[in-house]
Amino acid sequence: MKKHLAIALATVLTVGMLAGCGNAADSGSAAQETTSDQTATTTTEDNTSTAAEESLDAAAQAIADRKAEAEKTGEYKKVVVSFFDWTGAPAGLERVNAKLSEYTEETLGLDVELLIIDSAAYTDDIKLMLSSGEQVDLFSTCGPGYMTCVNNGYTADLEENDLLATYGAKLQDVVRPEYFDACRVGGVLYGVPPIKDYAIQTAAVCIGTEYLEGAGVDLSKFDKDDLGYYKCTWDDVDEMFAAMHAAFPDKTVYSTQDNMLSQGSCVDPVGGDYYGSLLDPANSLTVENVYESEVFKTWCDRFYRWNQAGYISGDAMTDKNGASARIKSGAFMAMMACGKPAYQNQISGECGRPMTVFDVGDPFMSSSAVSSFPWCMNQATEDPVAAMQVLEALYTDPVVANLACWGEEGVEYVVNDDTSINWAPGVDANNSEYYPNVLWLMPNQYAAHVWEGDPLDVGPQTAAFNDNCPVKSKALGFTWDNGDYAAEYTALQNAYQEYSGKVIYGFVDPETGLKELNDALKAAGLEEYMAAKQEALNAWAAENGIN
Amino acid sequence: MNDQLKKHNKSIQKKKLRRFFPIYLMALPGLIYLFINNYMPLPGLVLAFKKYNAKKGIFGSDFVGFKNFKYLFKTNDAFIITRNTILYNVAFIIVNTILAVFVAILLAEMVSNLKKVYQCLILLPFMISMVIVSYLVFGYLSNDNGFMNNTILPLFGKEPIFWYMEKKYWPFILIFVNAWKVTGYNSIIYISSILGIDRGIYESAAIDGCSKWKQITTITLPLLKPTVIMMTLLAVGRIFYSDFGLFYQVPQNQGALFAVTNTIDTYVYRGLLELGDMTMASAAGLYQSIIGFILILGANLLVRKIEPDSALF
Repeated sequence: MKKHLAIALATVLTVGMLAGCGNAADSGSAAQETTSDQTATTTTEDNTSTAAEESLDAAAQAIADRKAEAEKTGEYKKVVVSFFDWTGAPAGLERVNAKLSEYTEETLGLDVELLIIDSAAYTDDIKLMLSSGEQVDLFSTCGPGYMTCVNNGYTADLEENDLLATYGAKLQDVVRPEYFDACRVGGVLYGVPPIKDYAIQTAAVCIGTEYLEGAGVDLSKFDKDDLGYYKCTWDDVDEMFAAMHAAFPDKTVYSTQDNMLSQGSCVDPVGGDYYGSLLDPANSLTVENVYESEVFKTWCDRFYRWNQAGYISGDAMTDKNGASARIKSGAFMAMMACGKPAYQNQISGECGRPMTVFDVGDPFMSSSAVSSFPWCMNQATEDPVAAMQVLEALYTDPVVANLACWGEEGVEYVVNDDTSINWAPGVDANNSEYYPNVLWLMPNQYAAHVWEGDPLDVGPQTAAFNDNCPVKSKALGFTWDNGDYAAEYTALQNAYQEYSGKVIYGFVDPETGLKELNDALKAAGLEEYMAAKQEALNAWAAENGIN
Repeated sequence: MNDQLKKHNKSIQKKKLRRFFPIYLMALPGLIYLFINNYMPLPGLVLAFKKYNAKKGIFGSDFVGFKNFKYLFKTNDAFIITRNTILYNVAFIIVNTILAVFVAILLAEMVSNLKKVYQCLILLPFMISMVIVSYLVFGYLSNDNGFMNNTILPLFGKEPIFWYMEKKYWPFILIFVNAWKVTGYNSIIYISSILGIDRGIYESAAIDGCSKWKQITTITLPLLKPTVIMMTLLAVGRIFYSDFGLFYQVPQNQGALFAVTNTIDTYVYRGLLELGDMTMASAAGLYQSIIGFILILGANLLVRKIEPDSALF
């Protein structure tokens, strides 16, 4: 009896395990089958001329071919589009995908599946999918990083056989040539940048309005800048902080994060990191050590002063909560970020209370502003033509953009008379079945509706904000593959983590703290790394005629 | 004659096979698991010597020699992390073994109705996730609100200490936290060994006028020795691995403490979080495995010299 039981148990366990493996393999091959029959049509069309009319014909022809194919097989080809959100696949994703496919079957002759993954898992998951041959055709590089994807060979050349010009012609209407160029790596275009604010208004100090009132700060003495934020100096900020500290002694004044360079200065992290930066990016292409610069020292002095005055939490180095989340908790009063059009609404939402934004810095567009996380196509995509046409629709078709950004009209949102939108009755951020809340990484948020309260012309405003940015990095579009210096990079990163915390949050005198940090960085190979970066930058500048 | 013997042997083997067949079958799921999980990925180690490119695949990518290992030895980080990993583990082995044996003897000698309750309570820390432990520790050590800085140190009239910036305290804190967490669990095995010792020996010792202390030193401890050696050997085999949660979560991933909290696992994790490079992860994994393999062979060799019966193989 016992023996039989043991055999039965063992069999069940074994079969169960094999079944687990088998399923995965099955679904993989099934996915491949659904996409493998299109290659024939693709190759015949690759040689089509690029003239605008003919390209339209070629695009229309591709759609007609797909529809005919679908009629024959009874099944539409599927294109999978992947990006992340904060909470994992939304509950209503299947419904939104069905709506989306219903529409794209008509317009493009294919199904579109949005594959939305939790932000914490996205980087690992997308890399696994890209290297294991699972179907994903288009993906956002926000998470794994653009250069990582290019270096690992995950991305397809978008201009191979005139793919972009033939099947994504309308993309060139919404994305400007210089922004395309900014995403080229070694002259090859691997990605299309999301349409967003590329410029930033550096050093936007955000303070809870209630605390300003409680401390009796008089706002009328400040002028407003072009974006409608109060213009002030660091001395003004010091004064306000002192008043707030006196009025609310139980609350911590300033919510820290390591963003003094990225959001609080016009130093350009050329090539993707601050180990060797452009201190005067609008005028000079000399790579320098920012950690020995006046800009960085000023920040460290300021934080040392604030820390001595008791504006900073003693646990600043260990607290991993986001700056805005801490303000939301009610224990902190102010933070620094970077401004842009319609930022006041965004930051007030994040901090859970009305915030007043002070503009203390200058506008700036860094060399990597455009190319930080473009949308890419999987190099293993079975049907690049279909994928390109979906990419074009994501950027230009309002129906597709609205479904991807906001979900289904009437279920997730309702449209106001002035075309802005708001929650459908009974729906909010917490119970909505589709609310990815990642507009800034979507291909073109401005093709979709504007949320109530934001200016209706936020798209043109943002474009103008980008255009009018007075300090644009000369190295705009320079990308650097640091793969050969990965060892130095890791060592630098470790040295920075080990020695930066104390000095950037003002726990030690900047004199000694900065020396410690710089000694460690140099020991980790900073000079070698900077020299390599400078060499690559010079080569790029010569190639592109920039001096 | 010879043939007959062979036949006889074969039939014995057959009988054995038949007799133990259900047992082999029972082991099958485990063996399959072991094969899938531990053997099938082995060819992937080749990744440590390649520059990965998705277009070419794992086996088609170009060889780059030992380049992927370079980052481990770029600075003296390799020395620091190897030193930390080994020294901490040695300290853990010594401290945890002494404490576990001590607790096991206490619990075994205890004659109380609450014995089972104590056994459960002492096991409790082992069940707590390291992330929660890290916040318990933070509750004591927080600069602003911590128990140490606000209650304990003022009692002695001492100034508050910025615990998360001072390296010198952390070797003690980590060893203490680790001991607190695992002692109860480790003592279980020792308790069961002690309970397995023949009571008759103790009784005759007592009749001969042997005190409790004498009984412990002359009966319990010598009879526990094989168990201690086996447990230590198992721990030595993992001496090159560190409890990631302990070294990453408990010091709150604090840069200022890297010199005393960075181990191979945390170093690799941090490096890869920044770089996202699979080949370098493979390189570090290979380095860790090879050194770990050498260490366990060495330790076993040593034990075989001193106490042949206790050696693992």
